[in-house]
Amino acid sequence: MKINQYFKKSLSRQFIALIGVFILFFLVGTAIIYLTQQQLNNKYFEERAELVKKERILVEIDQSLNIALFDARGYVAFGSESLKSSTFAQHPEIRKLYKDLEKTSTTDEDKTFLKELREFTDYYFIETFPKAVRYFEMGQKDKVTEIANNGATERINEFQDLLTKEINSINKQLDGKVLQLTNNQSLVQTAFILFILLILFIFFVIIRIMVKNVGAPLSEFAFAANEIAKGNDGIIKVDSNRDDELGALSVAFKKMINSVQEKEQDLLAQNEELIAQQDELQAQQTELEEVLEAIQENEQKLEQRNELTNTISNSLNKQEVLDSIVINMSRIIEADKGLILMLNEDTYASFGVSKLGVKQFKDNLKSGLNERLIIFKKPFTIKREMVAEEKGFHQLVGFSYDLYIPVLSSTNEVSAILVFSRLSGAFAEKSMDEYEALAKQIGISLDKISMYEQTETARELNQNILNTIQEGIQLVDTDGTILQVNKQLCDMFQSGLDLVGQPLKYWIQVATETMEGGEEFFHFINRAISNDAILDKETFTFKRKTENKVFKVYSEGLYEGDKRVGTVVVYRDITKEFEVDQMKSEFVSTVSHELRTPLASILGFTELLINRQLKPDRQQKYLSTIYNETKRLTALINDFLDVQRMESGKQTYEKKYVELSPIIHKVIGNLQINTNVHHITFTPLTENDYILGDRSKIEQVFTNVISNAIKYSPNGGDIHVKMYEKEGQLTVDVEDHGLGIPEEALTKVFSKFYRIDNSDRRKIGGTGLGLAIVQEIMRSHEGEVNVSSKYGEGSIFTLTFPIVEGKRKETDTEKRNIHSGYKIFVIEDDKSLGELITQELLDSGFKVQHFIRGLEALEVMTREIPDAIVLDIMLEEDSIDGWSIMDQLKSDEQLKNIPIIVSTALDEKEKGFSLGAIDFLVKPYKPSQLSRAIMQTLLNIGKEGQILVPQEQEK
Amino acid sequence: MKRILLAEDEEVLRMLVVDTLEDEDYKVDEASDGQEALDLFKNHEYDLLIVDYMMPILTGLELIEKIRETNLDIKIMMLSAKSQEFEIEKVLSAGANYFMAKPFSPLQLLEKIEEILDEN
Repeated sequence: MKINQYFKKSLSRQFIALIGVFILFFLVGTAIIYLTQQQLNNKYFEERAELVKKERILVEIDQSLNIALFDARGYVAFGSESLKSSTFAQHPEIRKLYKDLEKTSTTDEDKTFLKELREFTDYYFIETFPKAVRYFEMGQKDKVTEIANNGATERINEFQDLLTKEINSINKQLDGKVLQLTNNQSLVQTAFILFILLILFIFFVIIRIMVKNVGAPLSEFAFAANEIAKGNDGIIKVDSNRDDELGALSVAFKKMINSVQEKEQDLLAQNEELIAQQDELQAQQTELEEVLEAIQENEQKLEQRNELTNTISNSLNKQEVLDSIVINMSRIIEADKGLILMLNEDTYASFGVSKLGVKQFKDNLKSGLNERLIIFKKPFTIKREMVAEEKGFHQLVGFSYDLYIPVLSSTNEVSAILVFSRLSGAFAEKSMDEYEALAKQIGISLDKISMYEQTETARELNQNILNTIQEGIQLVDTDGTILQVNKQLCDMFQSGLDLVGQPLKYWIQVATETMEGGEEFFHFINRAISNDAILDKETFTFKRKTENKVFKVYSEGLYEGDKRVGTVVVYRDITKEFEVDQMKSEFVSTVSHELRTPLASILGFTELLINRQLKPDRQQKYLSTIYNETKRLTALINDFLDVQRMESGKQTYEKKYVELSPIIHKVIGNLQINTNVHHITFTPLTENDYILGDRSKIEQVFTNVISNAIKYSPNGGDIHVKMYEKEGQLTVDVEDHGLGIPEEALTKVFSKFYRIDNSDRRKIGGTGLGLAIVQEIMRSHEGEVNVSSKYGEGSIFTLTFPIVEGKRKETDTEKRNIHSGYKIFVIEDDKSLGELITQELLDSGFKVQHFIRGLEALEVMTREIPDAIVLDIMLEEDSIDGWSIMDQLKSDEQLKNIPIIVSTALDEKEKGFSLGAIDFLVKPYKPSQLSRAIMQTLLNIGKEGQILVPQEQEK
Repeated sequence: MKRILLAEDEEVLRMLVVDTLEDEDYKVDEASDGQEALDLFKNHEYDLLIVDYMMPILTGLELIEKIRETNLDIKIMMLSAKSQEFEIEKVLSAGANYFMAKPFSPLQLLEKIEEILDEN
């Protein structure tokens, strides 16, 4: 009863119980069927095994019997004793099998067979065969045959048939057992299928009961719930007395329906109340929104004011601030147009005002309303008729209101004027104070900007001044922060770094990495910037690692009154001074060495000559040595003096037309004598080797260059001199295969006192002046000297001279004759200069006529046409200048082909050439240059086939 | 006979020194550069070395330093056109015993050499 109650209370328990019973039922049924099957199988196997065993025994009996019969026959036929004993041996064998068979025999048939078997074995083994053996042994073979024929054979055959029958019968029984097993199994299978069907049926019945018991009440609930949701009364037909969950659900559902109905009533009442409240709230919200709008409006104004204050206080860009003032003020005071104008400068910003309008306002600044504003310094408004553009499409008269506000500076002067126009209505009088306050703020910020601008200008000026100084300058405050640097400092250290504002330590770190002796610099600079130690004229010199530059650093304290506020550190690039200094001391040392060596010989040999009694040949040797050394000394001193002369610009050259080849031949001849390890060759590739030069200086050039080639190829080798024309220049290469010149020294070899700093070269004597002299001489001949070299392989020095066109190999007298016929007019108002020119031209073989006045020359030229004219431009004695004379000459058919060489202090070559001058010499020039220019000109014209020789030449 | 090695690249000066000394019965070997002098020095016994400062291949200074690496006894006199104090100091600290500036008097040189060689 209790268990029944337990299941009734819960649907799930009922369900589980049903499923449990079902599973139990299923398991029991299945087990029974399985066991039955098992039993059937076992029985079959047992019976089968029995039959098989019986069959085996029978077969064995058959075999034994056969062996016995066979051996017996063999014995009778051959009389072998072994066959006889083998026959008898089968008897116990068959006996044993008989006993086995007896154990398995159950049926009557079996027993009959057993009896037959017993009788036969007895007959054969005990009766017949022993009898036959005895006859056989007695030799009565016919008796043996008689036994066989008298029924023994028949009896044996009969028994063998019986045995075969028995075996067949057992085989049949086996087949029968298999058939029986198959029948039993199909019976069991049919029973199993029936059982499954029964199970399925029971399952269906259980499901059906469950559905009926649970499903029906559930759809009742669903229907009732729907009804309640629709607002109708829901009636539950489910028995509330049920003990399970559905019973409880039914009770609860009913309660719920009741409570829902009660709540609905309450809600209706509350809803009405709420509607009333909502109406009230709406009214309040409208009120609040109005207030909010007012607040927002205020806020916007405040924001505008804020923005104005922000921009004017945060920016130092004047235009930006002015723009912001106009726009923000216009917004604040709700103006349609606005303008701010700085009074003392030409800056303004406007809003809604045309450029023309601004100009008009500026032009009338010192009048009317503005004057009033400037004097009273108070804002005011005026009312005026709208102008056409303000009226828009309206026909009627409208009014516009203008507001003038003065912006006062710190000195209470009007620094700017603010003007606004409003079309929408008058400006409230009460706002004036506010506008004035805003204007005060604007005034302060404008003051600030102008102060900033002044400071900025001063700062820029300062920086510019600093940047113009050649020294690197660094201003450091007492805390060790870099306040200012100039451009040179950045350039010196190739520092793209923004040093300003950096701690000096950082700078020192960067700087010391690039210099030798960085640590000492660190100490120096630390002492320099420290407050107490004052470096009195102390300097620090350092070399850069990366480049050959030397810097000198010194510092000065910076004071405001007595208080030290910082340190100025100055970096001076003293590379040039340093190098010159070094070169000078090196030069002194070199010159001293070079002078002492020949002096030592002179002194020594002289002493020997004086103090010793020497044979004449030794005396002669010593004297010639002294002579040679004296010459060497002289050459050295001459070199030195040449340099001195060239340095002071006092060197003079006696230039004539000379051929290079003979000079080079002579120099090579002189130098070849002194060396037998060098082989000097000369290859002239052009015949046109005239230059205008000073023979002795040109000789010096080649002597220096070729003797250098010898000196710097200490191991000997070929020195090749080649002369050729290239790009209109007469060029001479001097090539050696000696030490060569390191690349970094190539640019310096022509510097005075420079000698390549290399121990190999130190051993080679010299003053370090040879190439400097060469370069100086080449320059003075409008030529060049260049060098190319591969270090370790040799050098090529290239000398280039301007070619003298048209010069042929002629004798000196012929040369003079060329010039002798030509007449040159010189127009030059400076008498002494004119005389100088005249003399030079006469020396060069020209006929010369000198005119102080140009007009006079023109007059003479109507009768007498010169071959060329040398013309000054500034003719102070004349009413006419050189340019006009040229014009006149060029416009005269007779005179226009006369070549004009302008000789003037004016450097206006282009003008000269455009007016038809053939050459243009700017004073001061060397007189020889003029001769050369004239000759060149005449030769050129001659080449072009013009008629050069007028009748006057005959005179 | 005392044997002297002279290292001097200027032929004329070599002639001067050799003539001066050989007249007084010294045997003088000549070298025209530092290397030649070093080779000679290694293969012969000398009582004195006279060395010029500026010479090719090995300078006088380098020559003295090389010799002093193995020989501290040989007397060395430096003949130099460089007579500034610091140069003399350099020469003496490199291992030269005596210094004579160019130009020099051959007779004084002779006197000095006699003095040096008499010390032994």
